[in-house]
Amino acid sequence: MSTKSQILSSLKNSIKERFPMPDIQIDATTYADPLAQFISMTKSVGGKVVELQAGDDINQLIRSLYPDAKEIASSLPEITIATRNPDTTPTAQSLNGTDVGIVRGEFGVAENACVWIPQTMKERAVCFISENLVILLPKAAIVNNMHEAYRRISFNDLGYGTFISGPSKTADIAQVLVMGAQAARTLTVILIP
Amino acid sequence: MSNTAHSKAAKEFLKNQKYAKWHDQTFWSVRTKRDNMAYGLKEWEQLRETASAIKRHTLTHLDQYLDQFSTNAEKNGCIVHWAKDAAEFNEIVLSILREHNVKKMVKSKSMLTEECEMNPYLEAHGIEVVETDLGERIIQLKGQKPSHIVMPAIHLNHDDVGELFEEKLGTEKGNHDPTYLTYMARLSLRNEFLTADAGMTGGNFGIAETGDIVVCTNEGNADMSTSCPKLHIAAIGLEKVIPNYDCLAVFQRMLCRAGTGQPTTTYTSHFRKARPTAAPMHIILVDNGRSQWLSNPEHWESLKCIRCGSCMNTCPVYRRSGGYSYSYFIPGPIGINLGMLRNPKEHSGNVSACTLCLSCQTVCPVKIDLGDQIYKWRQQLPSFGTANPEKKLMSSAMSFVFNHWGIYNSALWVSPLANRIPRSIIYLPLNPWGEGHEMMQFPKQSFHSLWKKGLSH
Amino acid sequence: MKIGLFIPCYVDAVFPEVGVATYKLLTHLGLDVTYPERQTCCGQPMANAGFEDKAIPLAEKFEELFKSFDYVVAPSVSCTAFVRFNYPRLFEDKHHCVTPQKVIDVVEFLHDVVKPTSLPGKFPHKVSLHNSCHGVRELGLSSPSEQNIPPFNKIKDLLQLVEGVEVIEPERKDECCGFGGMFSIEETAVSAQMGKDKVERHIATGAEYVTGPDSSCLMHMAGVAKRQNLPIKFIHVVQILSAGL
Repeated sequence: MSTKSQILSSLKNSIKERFPMPDIQIDATTYADPLAQFISMTKSVGGKVVELQAGDDINQLIRSLYPDAKEIASSLPEITIATRNPDTTPTAQSLNGTDVGIVRGEFGVAENACVWIPQTMKERAVCFISENLVILLPKAAIVNNMHEAYRRISFNDLGYGTFISGPSKTADIAQVLVMGAQAARTLTVILIP
Repeated sequence: MSNTAHSKAAKEFLKNQKYAKWHDQTFWSVRTKRDNMAYGLKEWEQLRETASAIKRHTLTHLDQYLDQFSTNAEKNGCIVHWAKDAAEFNEIVLSILREHNVKKMVKSKSMLTEECEMNPYLEAHGIEVVETDLGERIIQLKGQKPSHIVMPAIHLNHDDVGELFEEKLGTEKGNHDPTYLTYMARLSLRNEFLTADAGMTGGNFGIAETGDIVVCTNEGNADMSTSCPKLHIAAIGLEKVIPNYDCLAVFQRMLCRAGTGQPTTTYTSHFRKARPTAAPMHIILVDNGRSQWLSNPEHWESLKCIRCGSCMNTCPVYRRSGGYSYSYFIPGPIGINLGMLRNPKEHSGNVSACTLCLSCQTVCPVKIDLGDQIYKWRQQLPSFGTANPEKKLMSSAMSFVFNHWGIYNSALWVSPLANRIPRSIIYLPLNPWGEGHEMMQFPKQSFHSLWKKGLSH
Repeated sequence: MKIGLFIPCYVDAVFPEVGVATYKLLTHLGLDVTYPERQTCCGQPMANAGFEDKAIPLAEKFEELFKSFDYVVAPSVSCTAFVRFNYPRLFEDKHHCVTPQKVIDVVEFLHDVVKPTSLPGKFPHKVSLHNSCHGVRELGLSSPSEQNIPPFNKIKDLLQLVEGVEVIEPERKDECCGFGGMFSIEETAVSAQMGKDKVERHIATGAEYVTGPDSSCLMHMAGVAKRQNLPIKFIHVVQILSAGL
């Protein structure tokens, strides 16, 4: 008998009573202004929110936010200031040293500032390896909470997606909160009209 | 009374009062942050109730959900392994690593690999294993084990870490600023991520309906561990599988709020398959006792645990004795219970490290009856041969007195005499009450005797 | 309504005044109270220590003595909770027991059943409220700090009926004081530390007294306070409620 069938039959033998699945009808918190909540939560988890005004140029805006950035990585067609492309980079490792990575978020979550980022590039390392991460997020795409979020997420064939809320952080040394543990040290969400 | 290993270790822990106070205060402040999160969601108790019911349902249909999970993971292109115990798990990991000629593996935090003692096994077989969660990395460099499941290096202060980094990472002498130290660890770990041949993650959840492995971190180290190396191995205990995204939403909302008092972890990552440029992803499902534990009528609900650590943070005994005072590698209320499931003879000493205050089960996001279970384990100690003979003697003596009205009544009558016993005798080291307390004064008359003399007239 | 007065063993031997206060208060409220004389102990100390078998004969005796009353009222939350929640387990293989449904702590009884609208006494003092664990998390005398439910505190509600009393809760309002029965003699260091921390938080409120619904917690804290020379007095809540009687 394979280990799998051994384990499954051991489980079957152990289970005395099978409990039913509960109704998952959570009376979940919603917000009068989900966007305002999303913005305030993003700030509270250490992120920054900038709004792109109609008619403004996204590349200029990012430049102005990171005037010293040398290496900019993005596979988004509207980003023309990119010096690196995670779709064509030979290896994930070669994205190391990226000052600013720019990716697209599908929607944001008001309750906790999560932004859903499905992998759309060959090397998703860009989301983590960059010193600073910029997420372009459609302003209208904000859901209230994770219940709504999980009903909305979808995957493409690359089979990976992540919710990101704020910059990488740790409090592992003496419980002192430090931004920028192993992944992006800062996070800016740019709201796109 | 003969002391348990826990009580001796706790006494040592409390000798450094300054540190002990800091430890208590630090975890209490995590508990307070958690409270603020709980109070901030009107649906909190409903979430707890639902989370508990989902776990009960899932655990009692685990055969079906595991089958569904593995089928879907395989459909996604993952290679699924089943390990019946720690030894089999370690062998599977090693064989995958050898197949891919891996010399160095980076890994994110996993209590399962601690449980299976995977790192020493792999190292003995020539594989370099690098922990990438900062806390785990610190204790790995220090050659220690975690003292808390979410904050593994909490027993070290910034000077301890600073001195360690001076020695191991060559940081500036005397610079023990946490921000600086974190940055230096980042630089060192960045190099490890870039040069590792494989990355391993645990998993907070496996999703039966989609085959996802879901990993929650604040540092982004699970994502760093899997976005550069050519191979990803994910290892989870059987109990981590849940049915679907609707269920996941409930747990995702609670895990971090309960554990650290944040509204979410920074990263909640879903791994369905390997990167296009990497080898297929391996998933190892580990039993190591779990399928047996599920048959324990009084204790199977300990398997509901989502490893948030909130029961430790709230436990007044954990906060005042530290993670290393317990004999099992998971401390605090859930650790007491899981240790007893693992090996009751070895871990019986932990069950008396509890006042039965029940804060743990009132805090637990999945409503495990942790304190009630500790009470029930105590009842079973005689069957493991680990009951404390002095406690048994005292209990028998009390039972005898209380069960014989005449003797009880005489005892009441003589008890005021205890007031006149000389202090030097009362506070002999034999009297453990006298270690921390002054003796109570017995009144001249008991309630019984007052009643007899006509309280009702 | 026939009320059986349950005076736990340690209250009987060490704190008879708490028993007297309970009796006086209940009779003052016009209730028919009887004290079954042959009662001793409910069995909690042995069971919590891991020897339920030693508690079973005591539980049987308790059931026999108290089964004919409408309510079994006790000035002790942990003993009440033990009878209510553990007796069914102790009697599991034997016979049905009725005392778990009848037993009630005096605070619960006054608050939920008798519902007095006034009390005669005065207690012109500032008191720090000790919310004993089993009162909070088993009997539901107050909303546990762990839970997001509307806040309430039955002990506080009752104390408000006494003229002059000022009730304050310490920081960490329902953290355990570290008594835990045999815990206090088995984990002496942690127990004493918890007791000291708790007493210090009570003192920090500026109160003259610590009051609570369980004399075992008060006894533990009083012992620690005396050893550490910490200046505060301890009084069972029923003694305040019965002031002047």
